[in-house]
Amino acid sequence: MNKVAIIGVGHTKFGKLEEKNLMDLLCDASLEALNDSNTNDENFDSVYLGAMCPGEFNHLSGIASALVDRLGLIPAAADHLKNGPASGGSAVKAGFHAIASGMNSMVLVVGGEKMTHISTPGYITSAVATLTHHQAERRHGTSLPSLAGLLSRIYLEKYNAKLEWLSDIAIKNHRNGALNPIAHFQKKIEDFMESAVKKGKGNWNTIYEFLSDDNSNPIIADPLRLFHICPISDGAAAIILCNGEIAKKFCDNPVLITGIGQATDTHITYEREDITVLNALRVSSDQAYRMAKKTPKDIDVAELHDAFEILEAVESEDIGFFKKGEGARAAHEGRTEIDGEIPINPSGGLKARGHPLGATGVAQVVELVWQLRGEAGKRQVSDAQTGITCNFGGFGNNIISILVERM
Amino acid sequence: MSNKENLVSNKCKKCGYLQDISHLRCLKCKNNTFDTIEANGTCVLLTYTILKAPPLEFRDKGSYALGVVQFENGIRALGQIFPKENLRIGMKLKPVYEKICNNLDGNEVYSYVFKLIE
Repeated sequence: MNKVAIIGVGHTKFGKLEEKNLMDLLCDASLEALNDSNTNDENFDSVYLGAMCPGEFNHLSGIASALVDRLGLIPAAADHLKNGPASGGSAVKAGFHAIASGMNSMVLVVGGEKMTHISTPGYITSAVATLTHHQAERRHGTSLPSLAGLLSRIYLEKYNAKLEWLSDIAIKNHRNGALNPIAHFQKKIEDFMESAVKKGKGNWNTIYEFLSDDNSNPIIADPLRLFHICPISDGAAAIILCNGEIAKKFCDNPVLITGIGQATDTHITYEREDITVLNALRVSSDQAYRMAKKTPKDIDVAELHDAFEILEAVESEDIGFFKKGEGARAAHEGRTEIDGEIPINPSGGLKARGHPLGATGVAQVVELVWQLRGEAGKRQVSDAQTGITCNFGGFGNNIISILVERM
Repeated sequence: MSNKENLVSNKCKKCGYLQDISHLRCLKCKNNTFDTIEANGTCVLLTYTILKAPPLEFRDKGSYALGVVQFENGIRALGQIFPKENLRIGMKLKPVYEKICNNLDGNEVYSYVFKLIE
């Protein structure tokens, strides 16, 4: 198997980007990655594009073919991968396979989504809920936030954890996002509270009071409130992959993908023997660790899929950092801060960087590349050499883990 | 419970594993023959949430409770819970067949829901 190197990355700002359409975002991220990898004059074998709902949100199909045309990469092969919110992770995996197998020597991977223009209340919730099992879950009114609410309540009860500890994850991720110039929210929750006080919307003694107020932090899927849930975002991210043997021709500091895994679990979430266990993450991360000959102890930084803050807690356990039931407590104790024992989501995660569905799996890898190249600015994890991601393509029923190392 | 919709699961004829009727083969042993069994007696609430931002087709309801329950014979199910106040994990409920919403065409949608045992 050939070594697979990431030789360049691109990342648009995430957020409400009114002046850009989906194709603009995909092109912006791709062109930045081409520049970053010094491959503007290279011929590309393949382009893999991850996007979850371009048909539903943007009335577009055939977007991978359109993208190579727009970018001047014809006759590169072009594929659009749709794997829910792990469409980006699936695109990275397809690119990895193409290089590792020797079929391709130069590949562009890009993920993106354009969502914030949709104003109909419940439309996006409904479109995303089509991921769930229709007969057993969706026809009863299930949404993704409601599945997260169900998971949160049973987790808090079973492991004697506190809702405030999930809030601590959001507080941390917003604090990290405030240090990330491409994040959707570059603002701490403390700053949201201060603005609300200045506007006369209330007076709170502590951030936990602010976060448990129905007006400042409304309930979405009890016990989860607005600040426990990722925003709806626009954005795109891209990486350039090539055979590791030629990587240093293009850049001085390539990053290798040394482990990759993907696994599934039951479509109906309540059919899992223990609802609080993400077995697909246990299997996929184990595959990634084995391929890279690493263990969770070797990881310096992680980008996890915190579409809901309960997920960061549970994922931090099933990816091997903490014992079952201790993830939320570990975050509360500061062990996952940028200067903690295992920094999680220095980017701000889905909560603060934002979650343009198909972009996220690629954006997680881009953040790790910046961390490993020492280019993460104020949110830099000290001497980060090895990182891992967790990207969700449903509600725990399809998970991709990608392990990267400095070359 | 009304006979308009039976709450059932499939039990694998080879290994006895209990699973949703949508699976064509057993998740444990890959066998493809099953006995269909009905949910039995009352059920216990395993977890619940109160959803205040419903998907488009449930917006007419504003807010509703969803829960996962487990019956005495091991069958699990998800459904809405009426009323949505004073819920707690471990409480006993019973399934009832009734209207759960009007869909986007304005038609009434029926299913089983879970209610407090009087």
